[in-house]
Amino acid sequence: MGMNIQEATESPLVWQPQTAEEAWKYKQSYGDDGVYIAGGTLLRTQWEAGTAIPPRHFIDLNSIPGLNEISIGEEGLLIGSQTTLQACRANPLLQRHFPMVIAAVRTIAAPSIRNLATIGGNIVSVVGDSITALLAYDAVLVWYNGVKEQEEDLADWLPEAAKPGNRHDRLLLRLLLPFKAYRKEETPCSSEEGQVNSDTKLFHAYHKIGRRESFTPSLVTVSVSGLLTRTGVIEELQIAVGGGQTIPGRLEEAERAVKGKIVDNAMLAYLYDRIIELYEPREDIFASAAYRKRTAANLIVTELWKAFGGLSEQGG
Amino acid sequence: MLLNRSGSGGRWRIRPDGPDKVTGALAYLTDMTSEDMLYGLVLRSEHPHAVILAIYTDKAKQLPGVHAVLTYLDVPGLNAFGIAHPDQPVFCEDRARYIGDAIAAVAAESPAIAQQALQLIEVEYEPLQVIDDPEQALLADAPQLHPNGNALHRTTFCKGNTEEGFKQCTYIIEETYYTPRQMHTYMETEGGLFVPEENGRLTVYSPTQHGFMDRLQLSRILAVPQSDIRIVSSPIGGSFGGKDELNVQPYGALLAVRTGRAVKMHNSRRESVRAGLKRHPMKIYMKTGTDAAGKLLAHEVSLLADTGPYSTLGAEVLNFAAEHAIGPYRYEHLDVKGVSVFTNNGMSGEFRGFGGNQSIFALEGQMDRLAERLGMEPWDFRRLNLRKADDPGPFDQPIAMTEGAERVWEAIAKCPLWQERKAMKQLEQFAREPWIKTGIGAAITMHGAGLGVGIPDPAGGRLLLADDGKIEAVFGYEEFGQGLIASLEQMLIEQFGIADGDIRIIIGDTDVVPDSGSTTASRATAMMWKSLQRLRAPFTGQMLERASSIIGFPAGQLRLSEGGIRKIGADELLLTFKELANAEGVPIRCETAFNFPTSATDRVGAHFMYTYSAVAVMVELNTLSGRVRVLQQYHAVAAGPVVNPQGYLGQIEGGSSMALGFTLTEEAVMEKGHYMTRNLDTYLIPTIADQRGTVEVEPIEHLPEDDEYGPRGIGEVGSVTLAPAIAAAIRQASGKWVNRLPVDPGSLQETPFFLNRAVSEG
Repeated sequence: MGMNIQEATESPLVWQPQTAEEAWKYKQSYGDDGVYIAGGTLLRTQWEAGTAIPPRHFIDLNSIPGLNEISIGEEGLLIGSQTTLQACRANPLLQRHFPMVIAAVRTIAAPSIRNLATIGGNIVSVVGDSITALLAYDAVLVWYNGVKEQEEDLADWLPEAAKPGNRHDRLLLRLLLPFKAYRKEETPCSSEEGQVNSDTKLFHAYHKIGRRESFTPSLVTVSVSGLLTRTGVIEELQIAVGGGQTIPGRLEEAERAVKGKIVDNAMLAYLYDRIIELYEPREDIFASAAYRKRTAANLIVTELWKAFGGLSEQGG
Repeated sequence: MLLNRSGSGGRWRIRPDGPDKVTGALAYLTDMTSEDMLYGLVLRSEHPHAVILAIYTDKAKQLPGVHAVLTYLDVPGLNAFGIAHPDQPVFCEDRARYIGDAIAAVAAESPAIAQQALQLIEVEYEPLQVIDDPEQALLADAPQLHPNGNALHRTTFCKGNTEEGFKQCTYIIEETYYTPRQMHTYMETEGGLFVPEENGRLTVYSPTQHGFMDRLQLSRILAVPQSDIRIVSSPIGGSFGGKDELNVQPYGALLAVRTGRAVKMHNSRRESVRAGLKRHPMKIYMKTGTDAAGKLLAHEVSLLADTGPYSTLGAEVLNFAAEHAIGPYRYEHLDVKGVSVFTNNGMSGEFRGFGGNQSIFALEGQMDRLAERLGMEPWDFRRLNLRKADDPGPFDQPIAMTEGAERVWEAIAKCPLWQERKAMKQLEQFAREPWIKTGIGAAITMHGAGLGVGIPDPAGGRLLLADDGKIEAVFGYEEFGQGLIASLEQMLIEQFGIADGDIRIIIGDTDVVPDSGSTTASRATAMMWKSLQRLRAPFTGQMLERASSIIGFPAGQLRLSEGGIRKIGADELLLTFKELANAEGVPIRCETAFNFPTSATDRVGAHFMYTYSAVAVMVELNTLSGRVRVLQQYHAVAAGPVVNPQGYLGQIEGGSSMALGFTLTEEAVMEKGHYMTRNLDTYLIPTIADQRGTVEVEPIEHLPEDDEYGPRGIGEVGSVTLAPAIAAAIRQASGKWVNRLPVDPGSLQETPFFLNRAVSEG
């Protein structure tokens, strides 16, 4: 074993609250000295890299019952924040109704880490690779604020959470993935792209581009999904982008600009330019912002081109 | 025939150290502990370049649980180390030249106390201008890092007159190539256990590739006779050249001697990154010209290597790079220059391939560019200029003659992958997704083994019959995962007719083994083979004579066999080895000592024995992301007889996976003398997902009839040719030349064709 700095310092205290309320109280008691911890896989890398100091108090969320379940609610699918990435990946409901989440989770870290890491942890990291997919599904977060449960759109929470000094006192209980009317008609077996009825076609794709094929930090993440008519009119469209230390977000302006339009090369060229304009990735020593923009734009317009049968037109 | 499990039959053996490694049962030296041991840690410089004004250790020494705090004042002998030229301070005295430089070391009762002690050591620095670029370091007004200036070493080789030669050329290619600072990334980071013995000696349990060199270096530092030090150095969790030089040993040894207690050292990955060696980043300029028919006339090379703050083997790596920048081709005019430059960047040093990887990437890039300029098939162009069997070596030196170059060329020309290249134009049209492009490329090399002319390169070993009836093979080599023990066992079984149960292999302990030289430079297997050739007749003779005297049959009718002595042609066991060992007489024991064969030239570093290899690869480029995947590899390797099929295949596969990282993902990024990639979450080596493609290996075992040298080294050569082959395949796929590694995906991106934007981004 290597003698790393964290092994050389005193061990922190681990608290194991049995309820959300109890967990929240620990957080109130210890403030910045206490950190909610689930899988701990990301926090550990931050401590080791020196970008975060190991806290004196761990508030272990694993003992709180009910936070690691996936169930169907009235408005959509409910995913407990303590559900591991591996459990998400294996869940038939997620597989059937939210395939981009499955695709995203599959690309996160490595199997041993996915067995520990949770979907909640991936979200509250603010830059987790699942977020891009969740945004495309209009995910809603359900928090416990010490008094009651609060609902908040993931898209609304992200920019606030990313601001420096955010205390993250609230406890994420679960997330809600709403069933969309036009998606509900999807039959159980058409989990891939498929016809909703003979006049429309659903499409979806998630891409993560890193610096190697697996177990890699992302440079660019992209989710694109929607509904096309047989004549190629975009009826619904969701585009989300993220990657690396970029806070993921929807490109709503681009979505609005092309909704109701027909997918053709001119429209795709326009969309390409809009993505380059609107996507503001953070660059680092490994990849420039320009590379990330081009990659996102390339992937998104190609998915639309494919959805409208570009490949079959090619005779391929 | 391809090398694989099914084709190898009974020669495909489970390696003796395999099960314990796979199950994790095996204890490495860095897993060792001792009762009452102390923990050692090193304080390293905060600055890449600074004057050290003062070091205050009093507070650290007063911390309860701290047993020693050492600085340069506490080094009894030479305060320096370095295999070739000891200029790296054990502890800095007045100046730090890189962020891995050691200032002080502590031994304490726990890692936590040792860590706290480090924090209590106060060092006053005066930061100096950081020399982080070798070109900047060579400027006249650059601060000088060493008394003899910032050029560690310069090398030149000239033949003919390149200026005149280029005038005669019809086609000339000029290009500059850049290669990355690659990390060895061994599984086991540096460390060890250092134990002062009751008899006053010191035992060092710490990985190295040459135990006797560590012993020599430590004896100079400790100012004790070499005989007072015992180095136990195997098994090792990977080295790849990175543990040949001393790393933690000076600190562990000094702390153990000072405290009289056992001291354990073990670098974290971050400390390993910070202090450890890397592959030399190089900038290589080449200008190469041919006549109208494609015959190479003139070749000019300028190598610039960033060697970091201290020598270690920087000069030797540069010499190797110069030799291999000439490579397996013939030219009329040559002008090769190189300089290895001191900087305040991380330490560069020995790494599998030893400078050949950088040079061959550039050289083979030149060959592909010239072939294209000529409108020739790249492989045909190489054939036209390839060395013949009886040609001298790159430095015009005499070499052990083989047909390796021609034979590996031919193997690639005939392999299915290269055949497929010719049919590729049609294939493209059927690509399912038009933004995915495929290409096939190939590259060839000759790779020298041994340390080369002018460097002591001893070899040898010992066979004896132990009291318990085991045949002991004793060599001064190291097992660092390459399969040395397996190969030695297989040679003993096949050459002596005995069984694995009859054998005991002893390596890696300077108290017991003879100095067989270093386990480096693709030399160990060849030297073990040669040793056994030399030992076979005398050892077998002694065994059979003794047996003859016991059982009465003439020695000429007897043979060594599984478990003991049998008559030739008969199965009945006449005498067990145990019975033989218990018989009266002087101990049965044979030893041999010789030197690695060298070329009859006075060119320092020139090689005599070469392995030839070539590879063809197919890559897939996704032009949306610019990312490249390697789908297929076909290696042809001419290295004489295959000693151990599984080990051979493993070496080529393993070497090629390191080359894949060198080409696509790996770079230890530095800014102003600091590492930006401090751990394996940013320094990315290939995962199994990056290596999904097939790897086929065709060994070419042919050697001339009168060859006396046997198997050539294969430890490094698998890591050499892949990068230029991938670059060639990328050219075929995308029309773009790669001249910088790792490959930048951004340079290979294209805007989707359906956007009707003719010009691709880049």
